Amino acid sequence: MTPQKVALSPASPAPKPRSNGSPDNPLAAELTRLLGPKKVLSNLSERRNYRYDAIQFGATPLAVVLPESTADVVTAVRAARAAGVPIVGRGAASGLSGGAAPALPGLVISFTRMTRLDIFPERREVRAQAGVVTLAVTEKARPFGLIYPPDPASFRTSTIGGNLGENAGGPLCFKYGVSGDYVRALEFVDADGEVHELTRDAYDLAGLLIGSEGTLGLITEATLRLTPPPKFTRTLMASFAEVGACAEAVSAAIAAGAVPGKLEFMDHACLNAVEDFLHLGLPREAGALLLVDTDGDDLETVEEERALVEAACLAAGGSVRRAAGDAESAALWQARRSVSPALGRIRPQRMNEDIVVPRSVLPEVVREIRALGDASGFHVVQFGHIGDGNLHPNILFDPRRESPDAVHDLAHRIALVAIRHGGVLSGEHGIGTMKRPFMREAVDPVTLEALWDVKRALDPAGVLNPGKVLPEELADEAHP
Amino acid sequence: MNNDIPVQAIGPQGEVMAHAVDACVHCGFCLPACPTYAVLGDEMDSPRGRIVLMKEVLEGTLTLADAAPHLDRCLGCQGCVTACPSGVPYGELITSFRGWSEPQRERSPLDRAKRAAILKILPAPRVFSLAARVGQYAKPLAPVLPAALRAPLDLLPEHVPAMQPSPTVTPAKGQRRGRVAFLAGCAQQALAPNFNAATLRVLARSGIEVVIPEGQGCCGAAALHTGAREEALRLVRQNLAAFDPDDYDAILSNAAGCGAGLKEYPVVLHGLEDEAQARAFAAKVQDISEFLAGLLRDGELEPFLPTSRPLTVAYHDACHLAHAQGVRAAPRELLRAIPGLTVLEVPEGDLCCGSAGTYNLEQPELANQLGVRKAKNILSITPDLIASGNIGCHTQIQSHVRRQGSRVPVLHTVEVLDLAYRGEL
Repeated sequence: MTPQKVALSPASPAPKPRSNGSPDNPLAAELTRLLGPKKVLSNLSERRNYRYDAIQFGATPLAVVLPESTADVVTAVRAARAAGVPIVGRGAASGLSGGAAPALPGLVISFTRMTRLDIFPERREVRAQAGVVTLAVTEKARPFGLIYPPDPASFRTSTIGGNLGENAGGPLCFKYGVSGDYVRALEFVDADGEVHELTRDAYDLAGLLIGSEGTLGLITEATLRLTPPPKFTRTLMASFAEVGACAEAVSAAIAAGAVPGKLEFMDHACLNAVEDFLHLGLPREAGALLLVDTDGDDLETVEEERALVEAACLAAGGSVRRAAGDAESAALWQARRSVSPALGRIRPQRMNEDIVVPRSVLPEVVREIRALGDASGFHVVQFGHIGDGNLHPNILFDPRRESPDAVHDLAHRIALVAIRHGGVLSGEHGIGTMKRPFMREAVDPVTLEALWDVKRALDPAGVLNPGKVLPEELADEAHP
Repeated sequence: MNNDIPVQAIGPQGEVMAHAVDACVHCGFCLPACPTYAVLGDEMDSPRGRIVLMKEVLEGTLTLADAAPHLDRCLGCQGCVTACPSGVPYGELITSFRGWSEPQRERSPLDRAKRAAILKILPAPRVFSLAARVGQYAKPLAPVLPAALRAPLDLLPEHVPAMQPSPTVTPAKGQRRGRVAFLAGCAQQALAPNFNAATLRVLARSGIEVVIPEGQGCCGAAALHTGAREEALRLVRQNLAAFDPDDYDAILSNAAGCGAGLKEYPVVLHGLEDEAQARAFAAKVQDISEFLAGLLRDGELEPFLPTSRPLTVAYHDACHLAHAQGVRAAPRELLRAIPGLTVLEVPEGDLCCGSAGTYNLEQPELANQLGVRKAKNILSITPDLIASGNIGCHTQIQSHVRRQGSRVPVLHTVEVLDLAYRGEL
């Protein structure tokens, strides 16, 4: 199977319909014996619903375990090892790189029932099991005057385990960092079913697990750092006739010393998709919109920073609107959060890029991508955390009418734009299967081999989420 | 989502279903909005999971028997529709699917008899009233009865009121401002006759003449949502014949489920010869709160008398009002227009109470878990009153609030307005 096909089409052949009944494979039967029927899904109707994430469909698992404790995870991993099948961890499966969609039939461990969440306000920490929904952490912390800043667009759905597996970010990451920046300690289950507790002392092995997309171990619990929310927030929206001008404004504002809490943009197609959905009165004619929050505990500084951004936007030819109050600000941010799924209204499928480039080259990069999109005949849209240089160019397509190979080719050329300008392939969505084919161009061979050494050290049999992150060909060359 | 649904073979309802499946990008934004996902925490009991299941049954890669248990657990609350940024018409999908699949279902004779009984009794107010009163006497036996019989008994109020006949025409008081047709509803007439009485009084007070057209029947929603499509078509056509939209300023319902059902007629008749007639009809349908809030905004609603002391009301969004019809602001605006009354928001307000048509009878365990959760959420804000706009929610919430030991009154929104007019709040 070529990587292209893995990324763009349902990987599992359509099985013949069959009736429900007792588990039809030895793994499911053994797991049911060990864990009881409530924690194990073995019917086809159940298993088939654990083969996708928010971007692609993969192989139907042989069995699905819904653990309630780390001990359950250990039992499941050992049973899968004994059966010699691959293991894929899964949170809410709202990921956008194919990370949770199994490349091969095996065991899926879905963490949605591991939801214990304990707060230690005096230490400004929570201890969260992997299945805790991201938003729940801030909800639990807020009464104590604390929040959990990482805020991926899917924060109402996505889980802490999934966030850490993908090292998810969100609009707040410009100033406040991504999920991994809030981890004090991690518990994980390794490929042999052993439980480990990692802190960030000595070797930062926790950092290794974060963003490893379930290929090095299964994160079962985490100790997360909380912070007090900023006392003041001010929102500004600027519209530009052209997407490059928007990027120029961002570069100029940051160079002038502004450190906004959030700096997000969406291009013409995105803002129109969102407007179709939410009817917020966004300027449909604009080539790009910039959304900015400045925040902090000192109102004067917050207002000064907003003025710096405003001046940069005006200098780049933009027109600026200040959100009058919290309600207007909330509506504007709802617009940004809804971009990703609202794009589904334009074409049923999309290839989602997640590149990061140096801020100094933002205007060239967004213009080059715009030009590639225009020349390709595909709907290409751009949005993202522009303050970090983290862009999400998306190719929207209809696989019944448009060639998946042409989509892949275009995605590849977009990735090369980032690499050529000194950027990287993934900001926050992970590599998964979607960007795996481009890894050889993004990472030099010596470094890739080092990554494979780490993989082999922690997962010698290669059972943990195979087919993700690291390109297979290189491993084949190294280990014929 | 890509699909190979054989639309040609299925017909117009196949188009409705394939369109909905196409629109889903499986992003998972619907998960936290789904009550069964909240309780069960598994993918096949979520909207996204159910869409995949329906798609695969329609494509022929999964048997109906495999998918059915998870599809049957869907309340049809449409919380996912509100949450979906891609605009997937999930309600249209599940309703059409149930209609398409029911004739193929293998059901036990007992199951078939139970469903037939529900569909016969529910839409016939007199039969329902009789059954309810018999049930009222059987209530003490509930603990020893099998679950299938216990569920309906648990829901019955302690006192089943006598039926009150509704007048065909209720004249406007004072100057006539408008004329509306009113759907009298089915179970509601038996369980809560005051809902209709209060509705007629409130409308008349603001100068609205109300006609209850003869020949109307059940809205058909219960039949439609349980997959009895032929029966639903019969009821839909009966109502299209009974209500001539040209004769009225609006066609009103005071039950969220029925109102949503009436607004769904064009989807039910999609591709059939009377689709246009259904569109004209549905364009006139409004919930009582929408209509009254329209009067309020136009300054045509009679002002309410103030409450005797400051009161709080927990307003519960019925799913078929908030999610299916998108009516959220109107009832709140009306309640806030009563001087002295404060409207409180219920935590997890978007989550279904577990009632949902015949769900209580078919999935008593899940319905019960959701009912307990809803009652706890409502009581956590210690309201003086609870208001909602749907008989199903009313019965469910009242029953669970009482079981938690609270005596706080549970009222229809229009009953609160009626009490305010009478100076009895």
